[in-house]
Amino acid sequence: MAERSPGFRFAVHGLGSLVLAFLLLPIFAVVPASLNYGSFIRLPPEVWSTRWYARFFADREWLTSLVTSFEVAAIATAVSALLGTAGALGLTRIGGRLRAALTGLILAPMIVPVIVTAVSLYYVGRYWGMTGTVPGLAMAHVLMCLPFVVLNVGVSLRALDPSWLRAAEGLGASPARVFATVTLPTILPGLFGGAVFSLITSFDEVVLSIFIAGVQAKTLPVKMWEVVRLEFTPILSVASTLLIGLTVLLFVLFRLAAARARVAGVGP
Amino acid sequence: MIASGQSIRFAGVAHSFGAVRALLPIELEVRPGEFLTLLGPSGSGKTTLLNIAAGYITPGTGRVLVAGRDVTDLPPRRRNIGMVFQNYALFPHLSVFENVAYGLRARGVAAAELDRRTDAALELVRLGGYGRRAIRQLSGGQQQRVALARALVIEPDALLMDEPLGALDRQLRQHVQLEIRRLHRAHGRTTIYVTHDQEEALVMSDRIAIMRDGAIEQTGSAQDLYRRPVNAFVAGFLGESNLLRGTLVALDGARARLKPDGIERTIDGAASEGLSVGRRAAALIRPEAVQLSPTAALKARLVESVYLGDVLSMRLSLAGGQVVLCRRFARDGTPESETQGIDWDPRDVHILPDEAREAPGREEIKSAEKEEEI
Repeated sequence: MAERSPGFRFAVHGLGSLVLAFLLLPIFAVVPASLNYGSFIRLPPEVWSTRWYARFFADREWLTSLVTSFEVAAIATAVSALLGTAGALGLTRIGGRLRAALTGLILAPMIVPVIVTAVSLYYVGRYWGMTGTVPGLAMAHVLMCLPFVVLNVGVSLRALDPSWLRAAEGLGASPARVFATVTLPTILPGLFGGAVFSLITSFDEVVLSIFIAGVQAKTLPVKMWEVVRLEFTPILSVASTLLIGLTVLLFVLFRLAAARARVAGVGP
Repeated sequence: MIASGQSIRFAGVAHSFGAVRALLPIELEVRPGEFLTLLGPSGSGKTTLLNIAAGYITPGTGRVLVAGRDVTDLPPRRRNIGMVFQNYALFPHLSVFENVAYGLRARGVAAAELDRRTDAALELVRLGGYGRRAIRQLSGGQQQRVALARALVIEPDALLMDEPLGALDRQLRQHVQLEIRRLHRAHGRTTIYVTHDQEEALVMSDRIAIMRDGAIEQTGSAQDLYRRPVNAFVAGFLGESNLLRGTLVALDGARARLKPDGIERTIDGAASEGLSVGRRAAALIRPEAVQLSPTAALKARLVESVYLGDVLSMRLSLAGGQVVLCRRFARDGTPESETQGIDWDPRDVHILPDEAREAPGREEIKSAEKEEEI
């Protein structure tokens, strides 16, 4: 490519930075907003303070919702990882139209408007007594998380050469050993990626959660949604900052793991 | 040679992929310690037969016996057979050592013995000290040797190799051919080797089975096949040959007479089996048996002459368009005129049947084999 003039490069970088700022600043504005001393959110804060963080961690209800979020995310991720891996493996063994149809079914929760899924689950969940329970909410989240695992593991599986499986079997390995020593190491990056996306999805999910959560299974986003209708204090920004921080942390971990997997010569 | 291998017998083994018949009933016995090559064009069924021996394909009919024991219904992991795949199929996430040790771990071999046997196998393929390397750090030739070590370390009853040199460049291929030959002499394991490369087959094999359209055309030593091919296909597949195709006009015991298409003379030669007057046949004349002579009645035009050091390789074209290859010692000189008379000693001519087999097209089988692999 031809060398561009410094002025042109400056313009391109400048424009790019503006776009990024437009996308990111409103999100990261919650960080300084959470550091206000006063009861009203001002940007930038007139007086900087961490007192709303202290309030957050002293408040039983906020803490409970944070713990509930972790519980729901952990269960939803574990179940999605298990089912999604099995699903991705199963999809490779069936062919043609059936595979396309089943893939569509698994991905459907990503396409159907979440509010529709939420209303349906609310009716079904109430009938089975699943609303307002942590397992019930986790199962609802599995619907949203499963596509990520199936897609990510599916991509990893494309790197799996079927002749490796045949070689392992020919060398005397049982099906379980072939899975543990050949299949699993190959799909691990995809499985990890799917799990991270599941955690993030479950952690941030609010529409389904509002319908299913009830009093017993109130996650952090649901609690925020409730609070925001009553009051608008910097404690909301604290909760938002925690959510963003966790999401960013998980994403960074995922990228690091993916980079290591690439260096090791396996994975996407 | 220490024969530590077992015999393998295919008893009436046949297989179809859907409606496509990939293998017609095969009768073949590989002797203990023998190096047998399945040689044939792609789609001839050789890989299918190999996969049946390994247990990856269960034949539609027939039995597979290893050392007299029926293994037809055993899965690959219960067969104790070492396989070297075309793309090596090494595990990229494991080190060289762990790749080779894989079969021993699956067998639950104790740590000390596992280390000893794995190191010995790496030494055998001259990769001692490479154990800790990653697979992607190795060259193609080295990967090939890791695949060999991995297949040999389990002390298999037989070693199966599916075009293992296909991915190597020509020079390396010749080197590895000799290496495989050396290893075979050293360990004496029964080996079935699949290739479409006649040179590979000639260099390494004790016996060669030539396959076409799902059937074995002829089995024998390289000399047998070269000197006494049973039909035109075998003659054309092994070694350079002139096949003048035509119609059989006379058959008298061991002698036969052929009227080639588009040539104004008949050709006499030794009759092989399966000939009948009026049917299609071909005269086989090896290039070294073709003589140039100014007085010969059959005239040909010299198209190309290549100096190969010791020999001169020539292409001549007959009036009917057929190409005749001729080889002679270079010290006998390069012919000067473009028009040459060609002749041969009738004792160097074999008249062979030249009938097409009633079988599915090769392309069909090839695609069926591909599907099976996926």
